[in-house]
Amino acid sequence: MLGNTKRNGMAMVSVILAVLLLFTACSSNSNSNESGGSSGSESGQRVTLKIEVFDRGNSPAGSTITDNYLTRYVQENFGDPNNIDVEFVPVPRSEEVEKLNVLMASGSDVPDIVFTYDTNTFNRYASQGGLTDLAPLLEEHAPNLTAFLGEDILQYGLYEGTQYAVPAKRSQVGKYASFIRQDWLDKLGLDVPKTTEELYEVLKAFKEKDPGETGGQVIPLAMTVANAQYEPLIWSFIEPLTEEQSYTLTQTLGSNDYPTLLPGFKEALQFMNKLYNEGLMSRDFALDTDKKKLGEDVSSGKVGFFSEDDVNPFYENGMYATLQKNVPGATLAAVDVYLNPEGKYAKPMYNPNGMYIMVPKSSNRAVEAIKYLEWMATDDHLFHMQNGVEGENYTMVDDVPVAMENQTEEALNRLYNSGDMAIISNGKQLGSEELNLRARAMQFPKEYQDIVAIAQELANTDLIEPVVLSRPIDAQTKYGTTLQEKFKEMLVKTTMAKPDQFDNVYETMMKDYMASGGQAILDERTAVYQEMQSK
Amino acid sequence: MSSKVYFRRYWQLYALVMLPLAFFIIFKYGPMYGIQIAFKDFNFFQGIQGSEWIGFEAFREVFGMRDFYLTLRNTLMLNFLDLVVSFPAPIILAILLYEMRTVWFKKLSQTILYIPHFISWVIIGGIAAQVFGTQSGMINNVITSLGYEAIPFLTEKNIWLVTYLLIGVWQSAGWGTIIYLAALTGINRELFEAASIDGAGRMKRIWHITLPGLKPTIVMLLIINLGHLITIGFDRPYVIGNLAVREYSDVLSTFVYRIGLQSGQYTLATVVGLFQAVVGLVMVLSANYISKKLTDEGIM
Amino acid sequence: MSEQTANRVFNTVNFIVLTIATLLCLAPFIHILAVSLSSPGPILSGKVNLIPVEINFESYKQVFTDSSMIRSLGFTVMLTTLFTVLCMIMTIAAGYPLSKRKLRGRKLLMTVVVITMFFSGGIIPEYILVRSLNLLDTIWALVLPGLINPFYLIILITFFNNIPESLEESAEIDGSSHFRTLIGIILPLSLPVIATLSLFYAVGRWNGFQDTLMYINSPELYPLQLKLYQLIQNNMITDLLAAEGAGAVAKLVPEGLKAASVMFATVPILLVYPWLQRYFVNGVMIGAIKG
Repeated sequence: MLGNTKRNGMAMVSVILAVLLLFTACSSNSNSNESGGSSGSESGQRVTLKIEVFDRGNSPAGSTITDNYLTRYVQENFGDPNNIDVEFVPVPRSEEVEKLNVLMASGSDVPDIVFTYDTNTFNRYASQGGLTDLAPLLEEHAPNLTAFLGEDILQYGLYEGTQYAVPAKRSQVGKYASFIRQDWLDKLGLDVPKTTEELYEVLKAFKEKDPGETGGQVIPLAMTVANAQYEPLIWSFIEPLTEEQSYTLTQTLGSNDYPTLLPGFKEALQFMNKLYNEGLMSRDFALDTDKKKLGEDVSSGKVGFFSEDDVNPFYENGMYATLQKNVPGATLAAVDVYLNPEGKYAKPMYNPNGMYIMVPKSSNRAVEAIKYLEWMATDDHLFHMQNGVEGENYTMVDDVPVAMENQTEEALNRLYNSGDMAIISNGKQLGSEELNLRARAMQFPKEYQDIVAIAQELANTDLIEPVVLSRPIDAQTKYGTTLQEKFKEMLVKTTMAKPDQFDNVYETMMKDYMASGGQAILDERTAVYQEMQSK
Repeated sequence: MSSKVYFRRYWQLYALVMLPLAFFIIFKYGPMYGIQIAFKDFNFFQGIQGSEWIGFEAFREVFGMRDFYLTLRNTLMLNFLDLVVSFPAPIILAILLYEMRTVWFKKLSQTILYIPHFISWVIIGGIAAQVFGTQSGMINNVITSLGYEAIPFLTEKNIWLVTYLLIGVWQSAGWGTIIYLAALTGINRELFEAASIDGAGRMKRIWHITLPGLKPTIVMLLIINLGHLITIGFDRPYVIGNLAVREYSDVLSTFVYRIGLQSGQYTLATVVGLFQAVVGLVMVLSANYISKKLTDEGIM
Repeated sequence: MSEQTANRVFNTVNFIVLTIATLLCLAPFIHILAVSLSSPGPILSGKVNLIPVEINFESYKQVFTDSSMIRSLGFTVMLTTLFTVLCMIMTIAAGYPLSKRKLRGRKLLMTVVVITMFFSGGIIPEYILVRSLNLLDTIWALVLPGLINPFYLIILITFFNNIPESLEESAEIDGSSHFRTLIGIILPLSLPVIATLSLFYAVGRWNGFQDTLMYINSPELYPLQLKLYQLIQNNMITDLLAAEGAGAVAKLVPEGLKAASVMFATVPILLVYPWLQRYFVNGVMIGAIKG
């Protein structure tokens, strides 16, 4: 009996081992793909170009993410003339990085054009040697694309001096604006606050006098743990920086700069702490990661003041529309209040680049890939992909395409994925920032276009430029995700601490932050800065 | 019994098990070469085979991380509390349902009790914020309107623990009863009749007949749960947790998600997974061994 | 306290406890139903609790006129049925021999099973496996890798073990083959656990979508839960919409539509259990033993 069990066991173990070896062998084969930019289309053969596309699961009836108006437009206008079959490979938007990682690691089926918004992912792929150097291809095949993006944008696609990505171009870089209930101010006979101190007084008045008659539910300042709500406040406390300080003390986590180590940060937290403990700020802000509560509070008329992405409150049936429906006579005014020590309304901006467009080294269609991007930047292809058909989707008003009202269902469905298909640009490109902003405002309901224009202007005032170092910081790639969370935890814990506990909590959280990678980033940035100085 | 006779009698059982065995070998053991990632500096483009060996370097790195210990502690703590609170809940509920004599009510509540299992955690999280929020949560609205201080159900870490556990009970208890109800059908009703003739009370009957009937199932689930003390699902702590209580809500799964998937460091994620697997296997085998000694029940 | 009073007290308490528990479990479902029937305005301002505000059926109209939703429902039903049937066949095929204590090599086979409860190769080799078997973007990618859940297998073995061995032995003496014993005696005695595990497999498949994110590209192979997940996730990433420059062109998915989709995707599977309850009949085993 025993002997039998053993023999069975041995047999099974060897079967398992054999199978393991088999799979091992299979998987090692699949990765030995030759790199290169050889071109099949020139030899007259029809080739296939595979392009990643984000799937947000919002395809309207009659369209799929791989077969819709825009994919057909690309096939007819780019594919057919160049003897290329364009195939779109859907990647779920929310699992973008995970799926891309698996595709890359599995070594085949990788699209010829992939992209990501995640700076770390780009850095990782580049540092592991998985991407094609695009500089020679751009030079040979893409004059229009190079001109469209310009030196400024292209430099964001460099990794240690090599052009491993083509960054998309942003149509505008403004991020945040702040909004206040004008009708509350009027009711209390108060002026629009122009400084942080004045804001504080107004918030106190909102709380004490409750002009919205919310029955004690008033939230003078609405806060969340999303960037748009806390960043404008915090960055306004940052003191003027020397060049050295901004290079060494800034921490770039993900694609945003974080002020954790900058002078003034502690004061910002202290101010948050004060607002919280005096009941001037949303009590549950720590729970609101997706701004859902913010939307509820604003639109039910409880909120006096908040900061937000400049255009977010103004979507059709959005926050502002619902507010006005719930509270007749409610008006918002877009304002700048967070005055920094220099006397500026300083606030962060977007990097001028959008996503990173990459060609994996394993791709044999690098030339066609670049030609595709070049095609998009040529003639009016980008314009068409963003705006649709004149007379059906839009009409030109003062050089700006304005979406028509009463479009047919078919026309509307043309552009549902335009943002994800027109990959070389983020937002509508009309040749100048002024036109871009005007076009952006025109996308909103008519009654809000004026306030959107103001909000956009504020969002583009006194911008704090992103700090660009001469080479990527490994520690940032490695610890970025962890530290982003530690940063927010610090924000929440210090804000919610009892005033006399503040220093204590701050010290503890800061220690944790530094030990979890903050110090490593600081050291590496300091070294890079010294390197830059000695050159 | 000689082998020949043995196999003539039992070959059918081996034939039956062949296909399942093939499944385990191909789909479960086949991909296990991926475990070597833990000992390699994983490079996406070199693949699993091509990446360089680094020995136990990644283990040293993980074991040197502060967050690893914090999340390990939290995982064990939350799972242990769940074992104390959430494990008995379905047993009690199943017995209550079993004892319910009104058939329509029994069927109806049985069907409704397991609904929460079907609501995804994202949605539960949204509802939890509406119910338990400090500022305008439903419960606190009542509490404050009575003139009391609002209770920070979600933002004070010790109170949060209670909330977390209760939501867990609510979500899983009904679903958990199903297997016990299946087990209860195996109890011989005649025993009850005999017992009531003996004049045994309701409680006594539950204690002496119903519970022993459930024992094999309880022991099996307990052993498996003990094996999984060190693994924890991602969604519940992630969705119910928040930044204010991260000291308690940050667990191994969220830790792995952060360093592994979001930061692309598959090596570190694999190390944590391997650590959990080894500990889990040891725990389940020990629990099985002890249980065999004590109750003669076990899973293998 | 007399026996009868005690009994009555127990029944009353039991009734109250179960009623409260039932109501608690029902409430969120009612909430989702209420949201699905309300207008966007009240939903966005957080006014909808258990009763619909400004009732309208717009969301349901949208769900039911979306042909891809209906097709997805059909596919999901097919997938779930196929998966459950195959899983049960495989699990029973493994469970019956493994419940035989005298089977040689049983311990080893159990070890093989238990190890897979803890160790796995990880997402990358699993993807490579599915690809090398040419299963990518087919229904089989969603079926084959999950055929036997080791946990469920152990449950089944535990239940099989509780069947009195005398039954099988008498069958064996009668000269019945193992196959016939399994089909003729064991399975009829195990209907409750078979119903339970079928439910577990079916619900797991119905609610699971993580594998589809990796293995499926064609929209016609999207299960309902994947569509639902995308709808809900859409909200999580609206934050990115502005950053991604999508502007007002990209439409947000209204909460009402999400709630209606949740109902649409949940109610069908909820109906399975009441239907299966018929197999939870008491005393199946006793009857069999007597007969």
